[in-house]
Amino acid sequence: MKKKLHKVNKPVLLVLLLGSLLMIFPFVWVVLSSFKTVADVYAYPPKWLPSSWKFSNYATVFEMIPFARYYVNSIYTSVMQTALQLGISVTAAYALVVLDFPGKKILFSVVRSTMFVPTIVILIPMYLMVSKVHLIDTYAGIILPQIFTAFTIFLLVSFFRSIPHDLYDSAKLDGCGYYRILSHVVIPNASSAISTAMLFSFLGHWKSYTWPLIVTNKQQYRTLPIGMKYLVQESSSEYQVMMAASVMAILPVLIVFMIFEKQLVKSITLTGLKA
Amino acid sequence: MKKVIAVFLVLLIITSIVFAKGAAETTARPEVVKLQVWYALSGTSGESFKSKAEAFDIARPDIELELTYSGKYADTATKVSAALLSGDAPDVAVMAAGQLYTGGRGDFSMEEFAKDPEFNISDVYPGMLEYGKFDGRLAAVPFGISTQVLYYNKTICNAAGIDLEKNPPKTWEELLTLAKIAVEKGNINKSSDFYGFDTSDGVWLIKSMFSQNGNPVVKKAGDTVVPVFNEASGVEVATFWKKMIDSGIMPAGQHNNAEKKFLAGNLAIIAASSNRISRWQGNTSFELGAIPMPKFSQNALALGGNVMVILSEDQFKKEAGWELVKHMLKEENQTDFALSTGYLPIRKSSQQNPKVQELFISNPLYKIAFEQLDYTWAYLHFSEMGTMDAMFWYALDEIEKAVLSPKAALDKAAASLIKEME
Repeated sequence: MKKKLHKVNKPVLLVLLLGSLLMIFPFVWVVLSSFKTVADVYAYPPKWLPSSWKFSNYATVFEMIPFARYYVNSIYTSVMQTALQLGISVTAAYALVVLDFPGKKILFSVVRSTMFVPTIVILIPMYLMVSKVHLIDTYAGIILPQIFTAFTIFLLVSFFRSIPHDLYDSAKLDGCGYYRILSHVVIPNASSAISTAMLFSFLGHWKSYTWPLIVTNKQQYRTLPIGMKYLVQESSSEYQVMMAASVMAILPVLIVFMIFEKQLVKSITLTGLKA
Repeated sequence: MKKVIAVFLVLLIITSIVFAKGAAETTARPEVVKLQVWYALSGTSGESFKSKAEAFDIARPDIELELTYSGKYADTATKVSAALLSGDAPDVAVMAAGQLYTGGRGDFSMEEFAKDPEFNISDVYPGMLEYGKFDGRLAAVPFGISTQVLYYNKTICNAAGIDLEKNPPKTWEELLTLAKIAVEKGNINKSSDFYGFDTSDGVWLIKSMFSQNGNPVVKKAGDTVVPVFNEASGVEVATFWKKMIDSGIMPAGQHNNAEKKFLAGNLAIIAASSNRISRWQGNTSFELGAIPMPKFSQNALALGGNVMVILSEDQFKKEAGWELVKHMLKEENQTDFALSTGYLPIRKSSQQNPKVQELFISNPLYKIAFEQLDYTWAYLHFSEMGTMDAMFWYALDEIEKAVLSPKAALDKAAASLIKEME
């Protein structure tokens, strides 16, 4: 039986292997480039391995920008934004699915329609509001305006709708209130979808550049993407230094992905089954 | 009764003026003037700017700087626009087109500051001063300036039997002829994607070409700015541009890839920013050469880069800001900034600096870039000049892909610009 399985899956495995190699190629390139010299980076035909391994590129990152400070700020703001965003999104999606209140459909349409408004359009009005409440150059100024996203609500609403309504009714019959239904029925049943939303949210905030740049001036509040951009010149780039910074910046994302990998795969599988 | 009210109002106004004047006179300069400085310079340019600004901060205990990297040019423009609306704007900024903010609100105090004998305005290249003007008046000062230079691949040119060092093309027609030879005989990589000439920034180049053909791009008519790039002299330039496409020396609509093509050895000649000298020299797989820009009827080169602008409206901050500007534009600081970044110094006296003289010997490509500074040129700056650049991109694309004739494309761009200005 085992032998047969291997025989059947060989072509599939080959395709998957090729796909994996294609996916891993940019990452390997980034890691190798982080040890290259300027001449190696611009060499044609491109060089796979550095002619001499330049470890100092990593030190240069710390010399040019307060990398550790930016790193801590990025972790803090991304974690806080993700937590608050999920809190809002889960409760909003729950209300939109479970509760009955006047104007529910219109409200959901309004929420969905914000997905089609480009960020650049709301940038200046958002800045003016944050400035009015004196949140420029604060962590709150970075975090709060980014905690409401229609996409996460939309994703969770779609998932919550797939939970059989009988479960809600049974919980009600057992005497559960709205908060108990949310914590004991909805969240455990939607953990894979919430994990997916969490991953998307964290990734989005981790690489967020324009808003933190606009709303901060002091280095003590600035995040990694701003620091990374500083390594890039208007006209040309110190690619090898940028790559060294990128390697270090990727690590938290990898850790988050490894933690939530199972739930993510489960969510994809469930979505696939649904379809 | 009306007379009483009128007398009362007059008295009120006079009293207000007297008190206001008195208040202004009695407001003392703070012991330390704090300046918020935003700079759209990153990498080595950012580091060079920061070190010079920090040296000023140490040397001047009466002025305290808070330096902030404000992102790339477009990010900085967004950040400054938002901050101006909310009243959080910086006092000084290094950014592209900063004069649109001061000039746009009628603040030309830079004109008065520039009269400072210590600044020595006559030492600044006239074309560069024009770059800091809005509506013909000085509203910012040039800082990190670059021009386009013609770079060529010596290996390709040698294979094609062309010696650009000895016989550089003086006109665009001559360049066209040489680029054709390069296409026919210089394709050493046997690439199917090989060309004789291209530029990484078509809009920047065509503006230089307009001026070289006696077309000022836009002109002032009373209080309004009028596009003139669609007049006969402009159409001649656009027609020549199309000729470069039709003759097969330049690809249509591929300017974004021009530098990659050049570095890969699939392009003989390229017009690119002067700051590529420091980037490319010694880092290409072929021998790199540079020649002065060819011309139509006269020499002219459009400028690119950033300016220093004093955005504060507080007089003490303005004065402190000017002290910073003056420091950053000292000959030794400008020369040092130019040599470490690839930007070009704004002062004529930089050419006499021993470091620059040494550089001319060790790296002759720099000499080409410096010599071109004598005919740098900036067209009249106005609020919609960013829109005009976008119109030029559309027009070039339409000309190159034969969607419209050169005249029709320029007429369309001019009509769109006028509509935008209205």
